[in-house]
Amino acid sequence: MLETAFFNLFAGLSIFAGLGVVLSRNTMHAVMFLIFCFFNAAGLFFLLDAEFLGIILILIYVGAVMVLFMFAIMMLEVNVSKMRDNFLQYLPLGGMIAVILMIEFVAASTTGVFTEGAKATAEHLAMDVNNTKEIGQVLYTKYLLGFEIAAIILLVALVGAIVLTIRGRKDAKYQNISKQVNVRREDRVRKVSM
Amino acid sequence: MANVTFPFPFPDHLITLLPEMIVAVLAMTLLLVDLFISKENKVWTAYMAVITIVVAAIATIQLYPAGSIEAFYGFFVFDPFAAFSKLLLFAATAISILISIDYMKDENHVGEYYVLMLFAMLGMMLMISATNFIILYLGMELMALCTYVLVGYQREVLRSNEAALKYFILGALSSGMLLYGITFLYGVSGSFDYSEVGAALHATGNSSDPAVLLGLVFLLAGLAFKVSMAPFHMWTPDAYEGAPTPITAFMSVAPKVAGFVVIVRVAVDVLPAMQTEYMTILTGMAILTMAIGNLAAIAQRNIKRMLAYSTVGHVGFVVLGVIAGNADGYAGILVYLSIYMVMTLGIFAIIILMRREGIQGELLDDFAGLSKVRPGYALAMGLFLFSLGGIPFLAGFWAKYAVFIAAIEAGHVYLVLYALLFSAVGAFYYIRVVKYIYFDEARVTFEFTESRVMQATVVITAVAIVALGLYPDPLMDACKAAVVGLI
Repeated sequence: MLETAFFNLFAGLSIFAGLGVVLSRNTMHAVMFLIFCFFNAAGLFFLLDAEFLGIILILIYVGAVMVLFMFAIMMLEVNVSKMRDNFLQYLPLGGMIAVILMIEFVAASTTGVFTEGAKATAEHLAMDVNNTKEIGQVLYTKYLLGFEIAAIILLVALVGAIVLTIRGRKDAKYQNISKQVNVRREDRVRKVSM
Repeated sequence: MANVTFPFPFPDHLITLLPEMIVAVLAMTLLLVDLFISKENKVWTAYMAVITIVVAAIATIQLYPAGSIEAFYGFFVFDPFAAFSKLLLFAATAISILISIDYMKDENHVGEYYVLMLFAMLGMMLMISATNFIILYLGMELMALCTYVLVGYQREVLRSNEAALKYFILGALSSGMLLYGITFLYGVSGSFDYSEVGAALHATGNSSDPAVLLGLVFLLAGLAFKVSMAPFHMWTPDAYEGAPTPITAFMSVAPKVAGFVVIVRVAVDVLPAMQTEYMTILTGMAILTMAIGNLAAIAQRNIKRMLAYSTVGHVGFVVLGVIAGNADGYAGILVYLSIYMVMTLGIFAIIILMRREGIQGELLDDFAGLSKVRPGYALAMGLFLFSLGGIPFLAGFWAKYAVFIAAIEAGHVYLVLYALLFSAVGAFYYIRVVKYIYFDEARVTFEFTESRVMQATVVITAVAIVALGLYPDPLMDACKAAVVGLI
């Protein structure tokens, strides 16, 4: 009973937040609504006993991806009114995707996969299992090699991004810190006799 | 502390990963050490990278396995096939680094360039040894990420940026296709392991299942992109032309070795139950690849673009080895790739030597009259071109011989006749360059970079081409020994 109430709360709030993302005029407000939506989705994961996914959703999507979104929006200076002019241009494609998604949802829910019996078995399948611990045990034993390669890929991504963007321009006005630290009074101040 | 029992025992045969560990650790160390090397001494970074490769090669030779050894719960395999391909990879990377030294000496931040080459090599080593789609994908991404950066390394050169962007977008698309294919196979079999997927496909026996076919098609498309098989070759000419020339040399050799090893492993372990289907797809792609590669190369005026299309053409011939599907075919692939590596690296070394005062001698016209100015280089260039064209008693002839004979053994006579036709077309545009070199008047003044390392590379590769042409048996035997136990 309590669970159903929480489900309705989280699901309702995430729909509200989703509407907010689409309808708010200010891009920054849309991002905030998206973050709120993610928090509610994480709540739904918790209700499904998938606490690891819930935590990861908050840590990665809210903590990293959305912060990046905000920086991008603040730097790009998106002009909302201009984007609204192109609304009709994108309508056919967007509408088509929406219709296809709708058909898929309806088709999936009528296949019989979501019968009452199936839902009963799926319910609390992971109740006695500590997701985080189980994933950790498999990730750091069986999939250790893949984990290590992923770490090296991240290192390469870091190095590559820096190599491609570092500006070693010769006419740039650099701060020479050691010179600044080692400066003496005689270098800066000159006593003039009036 | 709670007594934790791990679901898996400590991995066996960790020692077989020693070459990978050496490359990973030394590359990371080099990344740090490079910070303390002044710009004038950056050449030492290159030498240390080469030393890293030599150490890894020694480790590989020391561990050279008699049979197949599995490590990491069957995620990683070390067999003679992997060991031989890794040695090829080491040679290709080491030579590419050596021919980079002079070319890259004016660039800023050149240290990371060599480190990224090492990481790209590490990715390819993992691809070669992967027996699991996860490791395959991760290795491939590691390789691809490094090559995207390396292609765009010369940021001031507009062409280099354009090439990197094109390569990156198409490369990401191909990774997506590969992943999509893998997901379908996972959905059908419930496993990422090559042999388990193979067993599941065999057990269902229902190879006309659309999910399986879709998975197969996307998997082959993703792999075909990496070895630039038509119709997934579009990125090749642009990326090759824009990339720094040593990287073009590296890219036209090393990823092809890794890619073909993966294709062979997938063909042997995953797809035996679907032989007719994948053979049909590969035959179609081979026919297209040979035609496009060899015909489009005729129209090129830029030698890097010409060699890019020539790579596509050669890839078409190598695929014949996979289509043959027997031990001789797989050995033929290794023979072809070894010899192709020597020829290509030699020819690129000469192209790099022709760089003068910021202008890269890379138009075909730039080679006119070379024989009168530098007869030595002209002779080497002639040998490489004749060898690429497959003129008998140079190494390139034996490369083609090895795969063609294997394909005939497997009964693909018409396909081999078709390949012979396009091999003749290929000989035309190679020999046309020889005509420029020997029979035309010089149109530009030659200025060659004087570099002992590069000259040594040219001499060694040229001698190797002649020696292998006259006496190919040791290489052929080594490749035959490498594929024992693969099937």
